[in-house]
Amino acid sequence: MPFEPDHVLLGRFVDAHERGDLAVAATYWERLAVNNFDRVKNTVKGFRFSAGGPGIPPDEHGSAASEAFLRVIAMSAGFRKRETGRFYAALATCVEHACQDFGRKELRHQRRSAGSLDQRYEPDGDAGPYDAALAAYDADLRRQSKDALDEEASRQDAERLVAWGIAQIKNDNHREVLELTYLEKLSGQAIADRLGIEPNNVYKRRERGVLELERILREQH
Amino acid sequence: MSSTDRDRILSEFIDAWNAGRRPDVDDYLARAEERERGELADALMAFLRFAPTPEYSDEALAEIRADPIVAPALAAAGERAGLLPTLFVRLRARLGMSNADIAGELVSSLSLPGDRAAKTEAYLGRLERGELEPSRISGRVFDALARLFGVPRAELEGAGDVGGWAAPAASAAAFRASDEAADAAAPHLDLLAKGLSTPGDAARDEVDDLFLGGR
Repeated sequence: MPFEPDHVLLGRFVDAHERGDLAVAATYWERLAVNNFDRVKNTVKGFRFSAGGPGIPPDEHGSAASEAFLRVIAMSAGFRKRETGRFYAALATCVEHACQDFGRKELRHQRRSAGSLDQRYEPDGDAGPYDAALAAYDADLRRQSKDALDEEASRQDAERLVAWGIAQIKNDNHREVLELTYLEKLSGQAIADRLGIEPNNVYKRRERGVLELERILREQH
Repeated sequence: MSSTDRDRILSEFIDAWNAGRRPDVDDYLARAEERERGELADALMAFLRFAPTPEYSDEALAEIRADPIVAPALAAAGERAGLLPTLFVRLRARLGMSNADIAGELVSSLSLPGDRAAKTEAYLGRLERGELEPSRISGRVFDALARLFGVPRAELEGAGDVGGWAAPAASAAAFRASDEAADAAAPHLDLLAKGLSTPGDAARDEVDDLFLGGR
């Protein structure tokens, strides 16, 4: 089956659900999960229990990735948004929860107690730590005029949340590099050529911009 | 290692990702000095959370589908009980618990009489083997399992909702051709299903209701 972008699959998944065709919806979600498997696997490998701290032991990566992938497929039962930005936020939350659960395993063994580890989850939340950014994004959209909304609606839904987040970055240099990285998917060298700067400057702006974007989406204020 | 090295490694990962070359975080972390790996991991995670999915080639998609993590998960999702049996076994194993342990916890958290532990364990065995229709398991059981495993109830329910029981195939042609035929057969099929799903050696009790009574 040839590649189709996430926003296409997500739209078809929601459409199928809305007409009650659960079997077809499941096939689209399955393809979304396949498209995003590398994101899941790499997130498990790069996950850290605290900023800059230790991660999941390498010999647990396979088990953690398996559980995370199963939970991503199971997410389909409650997810009905059409935007990939929201999907990525929900997926990140789901996978990071699965990773944290591997830390809880050790904690549980230490406590020898089954019932004391259930304080964290908000079962109805799609996106967890990104809820604030999503709410601010929605509020921004509501503030726009109808014409602007129509124009917005006519654009591809795919990267709207990410594009909105990038637009919040105040540093022009960082914002410019991020737009070329996320929206045009240019390589570091191509960005350097386009902007007439050294590749080292692209690397630096990319790192700072990526961290800034993630902070904006996680802790919007 | 300077921050420039870290920037460059991150940037190379981003380029490989966007080009659909399926970079592995481990390979890039291994290139960083030990003391820089935490920060590099944080930056890689920040990118991955909202990175655009690359346009994978047919070969890359086939590789992903054949991955030893992906293939069994997709196969399980196609089973009648969906992913619930697989996820249940994985979560139970992660906590190092047996079905007897889980049953003991459920009996306690659901305020069941202590002598219902064996029957609860039997139902857990059926759940594990994919013999229980997830939609018939009560919300109280999902709540209790979610608390025990520390996962959202919605994920456990969702694991069952992706299966064939939740998304049945289209009705048989004969039934579509005649509503009367379907109406006539339905009571017999319901009776058959009930007979197959209810233990036959005892009267139905609260444990049966919890695992067969629906949400």
